[in-house]
Amino acid sequence: MAVYVYSITAATHPQHLDGLTGVGDPPAPLRTVRAGPLSAIVSDASEDLRPKRRDLLAHQTVQQRLMADGTVLPLRFGLTADDDNAVREALEQRCDEYTQRLTALEGCAEYHLKAAIDEDVLLRQVLTESSEARRLNDDIKAGDTNPDLPLALGELVVQEVQTRHQALAAGIAEALRPYTRQERTSEPTGDDFLNISFLVDQENQERFLAAEKGLTEELGEDFDFRMYGPLPAYSFV
Amino acid sequence: MTVVPQSASSVSRGGGGGGTASLYDILELILDRGLVIDVFIRVSLVGIEILKIDVRIVVASVDTYLRFAEACNRLDLEAGRKAPTQLTDVVGKITEGGARGKTKGALTGAVEAITDSLRQESDRDDEEPELRRARPVRRPARRREE
Repeated sequence: MAVYVYSITAATHPQHLDGLTGVGDPPAPLRTVRAGPLSAIVSDASEDLRPKRRDLLAHQTVQQRLMADGTVLPLRFGLTADDDNAVREALEQRCDEYTQRLTALEGCAEYHLKAAIDEDVLLRQVLTESSEARRLNDDIKAGDTNPDLPLALGELVVQEVQTRHQALAAGIAEALRPYTRQERTSEPTGDDFLNISFLVDQENQERFLAAEKGLTEELGEDFDFRMYGPLPAYSFV
Repeated sequence: MTVVPQSASSVSRGGGGGGTASLYDILELILDRGLVIDVFIRVSLVGIEILKIDVRIVVASVDTYLRFAEACNRLDLEAGRKAPTQLTDVVGKITEGGARGKTKGALTGAVEAITDSLRQESDRDDEEPELRRARPVRRPARRREE
């Protein structure tokens, strides 16, 4: 029977998974497949497993629980193997590599930060600081119907907004970087100007969180900071 | 502080409604990152993949320009007179290290429209609507609320 694979840990990991279930409907029981110094957390998966969002949550919950007791290599969501033997072979084949990754990530957690800024605040800033933008805006508001004006204003404002977003994103990453081991930036989506993951050592965690808190306080309520963590190191495995 | 295992949703501080918003915000980590073992097979993600809001195709377009122009026209500059000063100070402060990143943030009306429709789409067939992004929204009136 096919098995869904959640994570890899050291075989010595206590794997307290009581009360948790895996993916599928009805949710499958979790179990482990051992291969030398490594263990994989798996559950049986029916051939026609069609994951829903609750399965994403199950996947994530398993990682979080395992994190409590040791280092974990979280697998990408949705990976299945033919059977327990296939899992065992995969672990054996890359045993050294996975063991090294586990050692490298020991005591580390991922923190994920997204940030947005109130758009009106940014636009006000642009209009205040750019005399050209202000002139165009005033002309339009005064009733000038030249269709080129809104385009010129919009183009200018978009550039200014992007520049400011980039400066903000760079500034925030810069402020947090000293407390992190690695970082990984992604394209922000929606209203966000920042989408970044940090790998943080346990010993730096407190300082990292304090720095982030300081930033949010300094930047004020015009900003929307969403910080998530400690998370399994999805971005750094 | 130690590494405290938190609930599955593990939010330390989010703008949105706690755990429900958090899974949305870390979906890309669960779906796109994590270890890949190449001999394993990935199950079909139809119905889940649509949640990934990574469409950011139109960075500069006429629609975008017009939307921003309108947003500017609508602004009451007097009302927000204090805000820009504060922001400028802070930006100067936190960027004084000279960092100039490559983050390519951009607001685009077109992208918003696409993601809104994606969201609506996924809301319709979704049995767990609480996973939609839910966070305080401050945006110009023209943009649709989620």
